[in-house]
Amino acid sequence: MSTNADVQLAGPDARPATRLDTLRHYRHLTLELAISQFKLRYTQSVLGYFWSLLKPAMVFAITYFIFVDLFDIKDGTHFYGIQLLLGIVIWTFFAECTASSMQAIASNAALIRKTYFPRSILVIAASMSSLFTFLINLVIVFVIAVVLRQIDVSLRIVVVLPLLIELYLLALGVALFLSALFVQYHDVGHLWDVLMQLLFYGSGVMFSLTYVLQRLHLVEAVGQTKYIPPHYIWIVELMVCNPIMQTIEDLRHALLTPQAPWTELVVTGHLVAVHQLHPLNTPWLLPVPFLAVALILTIGALTFRARARSFAENL
Amino acid sequence: MNSTDRDAVIKVEHLSKRFRIPLDHSSTLKHRMTHWRSASRHRVLEALRDVSFEVPAGQFIGIIGHNGSGKSTLLKILARIYRPDAGRVAIEGKVSPFLELGVGFNPELTARENIFLSGAILGLGRVELHRLFEEIIGFADLEQFVDHKLKNFSSGMEVRLAFSLAIQAHAEILMMDEVLAVGDASFQAKCFDIFARYKREGRTVVLVTHELSSVNKYCDRALLLDHGRLTGDGPAADVTAQYRRAIGLSEEGTRLSEEVERWGSRDVVLTGARMLDERGVEDCNPPTGGFTRVELGYQIQNDSVADFVCVIWLVRDDGQVLAEARLPVSQYAQVGSSQRGASGTIRYDIPEIPLLDGGYSVNIELQGRRDGATYDHLNHAVRFHVVDKGGRGGLIDPGGVWSVVPTEQPVVGWPDQFAATQQ
Repeated sequence: MSTNADVQLAGPDARPATRLDTLRHYRHLTLELAISQFKLRYTQSVLGYFWSLLKPAMVFAITYFIFVDLFDIKDGTHFYGIQLLLGIVIWTFFAECTASSMQAIASNAALIRKTYFPRSILVIAASMSSLFTFLINLVIVFVIAVVLRQIDVSLRIVVVLPLLIELYLLALGVALFLSALFVQYHDVGHLWDVLMQLLFYGSGVMFSLTYVLQRLHLVEAVGQTKYIPPHYIWIVELMVCNPIMQTIEDLRHALLTPQAPWTELVVTGHLVAVHQLHPLNTPWLLPVPFLAVALILTIGALTFRARARSFAENL
Repeated sequence: MNSTDRDAVIKVEHLSKRFRIPLDHSSTLKHRMTHWRSASRHRVLEALRDVSFEVPAGQFIGIIGHNGSGKSTLLKILARIYRPDAGRVAIEGKVSPFLELGVGFNPELTARENIFLSGAILGLGRVELHRLFEEIIGFADLEQFVDHKLKNFSSGMEVRLAFSLAIQAHAEILMMDEVLAVGDASFQAKCFDIFARYKREGRTVVLVTHELSSVNKYCDRALLLDHGRLTGDGPAADVTAQYRRAIGLSEEGTRLSEEVERWGSRDVVLTGARMLDERGVEDCNPPTGGFTRVELGYQIQNDSVADFVCVIWLVRDDGQVLAEARLPVSQYAQVGSSQRGASGTIRYDIPEIPLLDGGYSVNIELQGRRDGATYDHLNHAVRFHVVDKGGRGGLIDPGGVWSVVPTEQPVVGWPDQFAATQQ
């Protein structure tokens, strides 16, 4: 489109000092936008911020009642309750972050038409305000786990930070992609709703990977077969590729208990001995979730960058 | 700040911008998928065509033109909001990203929160905003409403807050789009004070506005855009005059523009009207304090007309009548008892026109002396524009005279009711 077009900021803006100044300005702007959005999210409600705590707690209560009290499904892992709560908190972050960041460009039309700054700041700010809520919730889950003694703290906890970064980058990549498309195609909003339903079940929010393997094993045991037929295995293999599943599983392991299966162990079949399962010996799947995050972030950033220049005209 | 070197800080070369306006609004995937092969139907709007100019540091430049002429598009490209389709734009210096006041304000946030959010968009740091906070609130006169939500503010309060925040931006190049369109007279006066300050500080200002009088008053230079083309570039007074000519705001006062309203029995008709300067040359842009003559011609069409009166109103462009002048009794004889077909000229001289910058017009009526019947009434018979070189605020120049008299003791005291507050 713009073959021989060019807008240059020469001179002072090219000076390193000014560039640093500009960078500081954008960082400050991102933070201010994130803080105001965090405040605005719970405005006009009596309970205000407490909704961000109440919502996962209520989802947890419903799920726990149905799964544990009603159907007595406990998935065989230790500390099922707290693991379920952690899964719901992580899922809530991913769902809210992508849903609200998707609107970040479209709902700030006035700002985009009137002033210039890198447009991605709006998406980053929206995702950061979801991140604030998530981090507070995470601390609360940790405190609950300690109070209920459903935790087994060890050095594994150092992995929590890289895992959180991975999860955030995934959510950001999705948000950049969706928000850029949402400006012109509101369809992606509806499509994403449906996809989220699928992902909810495909991310092991309510159960662990071990549980899926166990169930498959039991089905096969009733059918008098020792082995999982290949047409069931693909479901598990697909779930192992899902970075949300991987981060939930790994966070459970790192934060709560060594009993929760470490993705690596599942993938390489080290858990087999413990649970007497059919080995899912597919180490080549191990890097897939990480590659998926990198790929989604790259696609999201590139899509966003290509479309950002015309946001002001299309809004 | 590089106010000493007069190098160009804004360089625009062969700038073009097209907008593709879809005829069928296709913002759904379904449409895209079902029609992906057919070329999408759209109208191409050429917003800017091959525009080139340079702005030296410290210049106050105005961009004028009719609605849709591309002036806002040009400003948005300079501000990096739109991308040009062709051409080059080079800008040297820190640009204020504000095109309008109050961008980023959120009605659900308090005044304090909005200052920090909107201030961040302006490029002000948190420490800096903390330091300036009292000053911003004080200038906006909103000390009691710091923690009230913006949605409970009147529009005037909101504009005051936006303005006192915007003037804190320390950009070298400021771009403003119709900032004068909002706010009342006292707010506009504040704006002008700030403009004057920017001018003193040698900042570069690009101003898009419909207010030709502000362009005349503050801008060193003006650009005129017409359907995306740069048709005028020069001293502000020349370009605004060119624009006025182009849109039919009369420079030759006798031409009747479309907005003219005329009624009456036409027993006596106005044959024409114009405005002259002291040399007798037609001039519809008298300076404040200058000599101005309104001259009109009449012709009697009916024998039954005994004598008639001429009334002139000076009207401001917003419709406010500023003055009414009637031909005095002593001069009736000269126009009375005339024959059919008789004609003449009536003059109304204003030795020192007291009006300040703005657009005005002259309404003229010829009426029967006895019954007051309207023979010929013409609104906006002459449109004129007063130019005040002093750039003063307010409506008129009262022509006051200043003097200072030093005394050993204060001679002028307060009346008793103020005496207490003096201490």
